[in-house]
Amino acid sequence: MSQREGATDGDVVRAVLAGDIERYAELVARYRDRYARYAARILGSADDAEDAVQDALVRAYDQLPQCRDPDRFVGWFFLILRNRCFAERRKGRDVAPLEAAGAVAAADRADHDMETSERQRALQQALLELTPEQREVFVLKHVEELSYDEIAERLGTSVPSLKMRMHRAYDRLREALRDRA
Amino acid sequence: MTDFHPHVKRLIDGELALADLPPELRAEGEEALRLLAAVDRRPVVLSAAVDARVMAIVRRRAAVPSLWRRLVQPRDVRLRLRPWILAPALAAAAALILLLGRTAPQPAAAPVTVRFVLFAPQAQQVAVAGTFNQWDAAATPLVRTRTPGMWAATLQLPAGQHQYAFVVDGARWVPDPSAPAVDDGFGRRNSVMAL
Repeated sequence: MSQREGATDGDVVRAVLAGDIERYAELVARYRDRYARYAARILGSADDAEDAVQDALVRAYDQLPQCRDPDRFVGWFFLILRNRCFAERRKGRDVAPLEAAGAVAAADRADHDMETSERQRALQQALLELTPEQREVFVLKHVEELSYDEIAERLGTSVPSLKMRMHRAYDRLREALRDRA
Repeated sequence: MTDFHPHVKRLIDGELALADLPPELRAEGEEALRLLAAVDRRPVVLSAAVDARVMAIVRRRAAVPSLWRRLVQPRDVRLRLRPWILAPALAAAAALILLLGRTAPQPAAAPVTVRFVLFAPQAQQVAVAGTFNQWDAAATPLVRTRTPGMWAATLQLPAGQHQYAFVVDGARWVPDPSAPAVDDGFGRRNSVMAL
């Protein structure tokens, strides 16, 4: 799907809402991969991440009339994807099988040495032992490399509460990694 | 004891360098940096079929208006008070919403005071999560009231449609049995209120 040059997210959202639904493909193309890594690290599986991103894109279309600021579609979409990822927890499937965690760490392993891959696998498995909220803040800060201020704005919470959540996560990760050593 | 020293946590946060740590914390700092070095930041690329699958669903949705689209149509505000329904399977008790302090006429965008009440005598903590707080289960705790087992929180919410659920003990998501509910699309029910 070719994208119309210069069309902002707001332009596309307004066009879709006006009935040109085919233009939604532009938003799909723009954002399908943007948060795939976030979803994969939260869910512990690239396959689950693909399902989550697909569901979130469909849900965003369903709820598009609720997008109050079409020019900030991407932030709004992120919250829908986040909700979708957290819904996995509500289904009681928040902890992915270990082999799935390993698959995330092991993907594209050819350019990684085994030791690095093993460390990544161990950390990804340890991440899955955190609460989803702890895991999320760790992923946003250390995988997506956002600042605390950016995370706070995105999640609508305060920096001190994020830091508290994160610092608990550090302790739990340390404990989990020591148990695996 | 496995907790990192607070200075080491600041090192992981990027607020301190290893050289800033006192000598007795250097080893712990190096351990923390090894943890950080194991973070996998490689991109995850989804299959090309995602685009086609999403658009196929979108076209079907466009052909048949969804329940959600019907729900979000503007409607009059109605005060709903129902007897509590104790759901044994939920073991949670009942909830109700009181709309307070809405004096007509007001601009459509004026916030509405909403009191969330949940009867959950076994709960250690209760919160409400919804579209108004990005479904953050920690953002809006309810507090115990004078009535034993009763929890409550009063919020100012923007007018419009909101979906929400109660979160009991940080883990159990309980829809409001006194409010209409919709499928959240992922196999659970969310309560809906129109303000």
